[in-house]
Amino acid sequence: MTGTWNASIRRKQLLYGSLTLFFVITQLIWVGVPILMTVLWSLVDPQHPWSFPDLFPQKLSWAQWAYVFKYTNIVRALKTSYSVAPLAVILSFLLSLPTSYVLGRKEIPGKKFFMLVVLLPIIMPGMVVALFLSRVFSAFHLSQSFLGLVLAHTLMGLPYMIRVLTTSFESIPQDIIDAAENLGANTFVKIKDIFLPMVRPGLLAGMIFAFTTSIEEFNLTFVIGTPTFETIPTILYSFLGYNFIRTNASVVALIMMTPNIIMLFIVERILKADYLSASLGKV
Amino acid sequence: MKRTVVLLLGLLLVTGTLFAGGAKEAPKAAPKIDLQTATWDQIVAAAKAEGEVTFYAWYFPDYFKEAGIDFEKKYGIKANVIIGDQTANFNKAIAEKDQPVGTIDVMIVGGQWVKTTMDLNLFYGPLKNIIPEADKLAPSLWEVQEGVLTKGYLAPFHRNQTGILYDPEQVKNPPQTWEQLEAWIDANPKKFGFNDPSKGGSGQSFVHSVIAYTTGGLDKYKGDTDLVPEKVANWDKAWKWLQDRKDKLTITVSNNDSIIRMNGGEISMTVAWDDNVSDMMAKGNLFKRAKMYIPKFGLAGGGDTMGVLKNAPHKAAALLWIAHITSKDQQIKKFQMVKAYPARTDLTIEGTLLTEEDRKNNAIPWFPAPYKSHMISEFVKNVMMK
Repeated sequence: MTGTWNASIRRKQLLYGSLTLFFVITQLIWVGVPILMTVLWSLVDPQHPWSFPDLFPQKLSWAQWAYVFKYTNIVRALKTSYSVAPLAVILSFLLSLPTSYVLGRKEIPGKKFFMLVVLLPIIMPGMVVALFLSRVFSAFHLSQSFLGLVLAHTLMGLPYMIRVLTTSFESIPQDIIDAAENLGANTFVKIKDIFLPMVRPGLLAGMIFAFTTSIEEFNLTFVIGTPTFETIPTILYSFLGYNFIRTNASVVALIMMTPNIIMLFIVERILKADYLSASLGKV
Repeated sequence: MKRTVVLLLGLLLVTGTLFAGGAKEAPKAAPKIDLQTATWDQIVAAAKAEGEVTFYAWYFPDYFKEAGIDFEKKYGIKANVIIGDQTANFNKAIAEKDQPVGTIDVMIVGGQWVKTTMDLNLFYGPLKNIIPEADKLAPSLWEVQEGVLTKGYLAPFHRNQTGILYDPEQVKNPPQTWEQLEAWIDANPKKFGFNDPSKGGSGQSFVHSVIAYTTGGLDKYKGDTDLVPEKVANWDKAWKWLQDRKDKLTITVSNNDSIIRMNGGEISMTVAWDDNVSDMMAKGNLFKRAKMYIPKFGLAGGGDTMGVLKNAPHKAAALLWIAHITSKDQQIKKFQMVKAYPARTDLTIEGTLLTEEDRKNNAIPWFPAPYKSHMISEFVKNVMMK
């Protein structure tokens, strides 16, 4: 009996071990290899091209990095990207809060239609949105201005923020709200002690989406922002678009990717640590 | 948790406002002169009064940045060089077309955008009678670019040419005649590549040559401004030639993709632009042993031009920028930095990827634009979709 039980445990351990190994290998291939390739391409020495049949570059150097920093406006672009993104995140949160509350907690006619409408900016091709919106921005004298750029990025982050926050609002149990009302909680107390603590995990997830969307936004920024403002993707696309130069594109991609990954890890840690307590409002 | 979120939001706000840059200054008022009749000295003075120029390109960031620094040193005029993406550059210019004052002064014009932008009447001109030493710049390119009549509105600033790029370790005797190319493709399936013509000029050049060879040459199209249906009636022969070899040809997605696939060993021979190849080689994206030539059956070439936008905020400075880029010093500097063949015909250049003899004997002109547009759409219909 004990032998059969041990064999069953061993089978389970083997299954879990195999699944873990499969997951690790898949992640390495899916995420690790492209990142490794990007790093290697960014370090290819211009005098020693990385060509078939070489498995690895013959010689590594910082020449591609030096090229990007010397000949592109990457420093200016970094400053702009990391100025616009935080403000766009805050603004998209503030603007999406009332919409998400209504869509998540209230029964309104045409709710599904509105849920679809808020996704339009990300459903439509980026350049089409950019070309139409550029007219609106110009009419309001928002082109070539920092405020215009923040508003444009806010617009692109809003669909993500609204969807995530709507789901968070939807998942708040009505019992808790009813209990609070029975105990005499007014609207302000309900917002402070129930809604906000319980949508925090959603807020953090929305912030990640809105932040990365802003950092990666190209079309609208290019049409209404340049030449006064350049962001990291406007530099990246010059190497990644029609004139695809893999070595330089790798450098800019890594510059764009690294802060995002760091932020993702930080937020992920916060989410994990506080998710349960936040969802119960015990913070 | 509450503290973390507040801290995070606070941090976002502080970093955001800390880095926030100021808005661009309004363009300076330039002296009101008629650029078509003004003397060059008056134009230079007007350009200096304008104080800056904004130039959009999509390649050679190294050269154009240096050219911008030289421009500022020489004239005291600030040069904003924006290296974007080709499609995005034209989309932006078109989006701003109806504004009284746009944000782009001067931009590179090339590829399949020549026809669209000329049809949209996007550019100021003609420039040919304004730019000093305009007669020294490739005369045919002043008139026709990629088969489109440009009538002196677009200033040539470099010439480029398509040719066959090959790996000498894989191809010992590169084909010269059409029959030799056919035989090589048949003997080396999937080793010859060209890009989808809707995605880049080098693929267009190859299909252009396929049409020339299979349908009786290019002379009959000369001078046509509209497509004559009778003249394209036998193009089915060209599509049949391509369909018959579809399994033996590698169709890539862009000019650069063809070069990248050769560097990766997937193909051994491809059609490519000479300036593209030089740039990729210099940046470590293509092996140095690669060789290039124009075969005897001929491949098309041309060049890129610069156009001044009709609603450019600094028109005089834009004209001065073109004069600067096409000056002898800058044309030589450009060749030294990025190996782009000068547009000036009064320069003797050595060390080019393609020989002068090849250019002289084997380079062929494009057929007119309506045929080129037809070629691209018919290729998609008859080759890509079948």
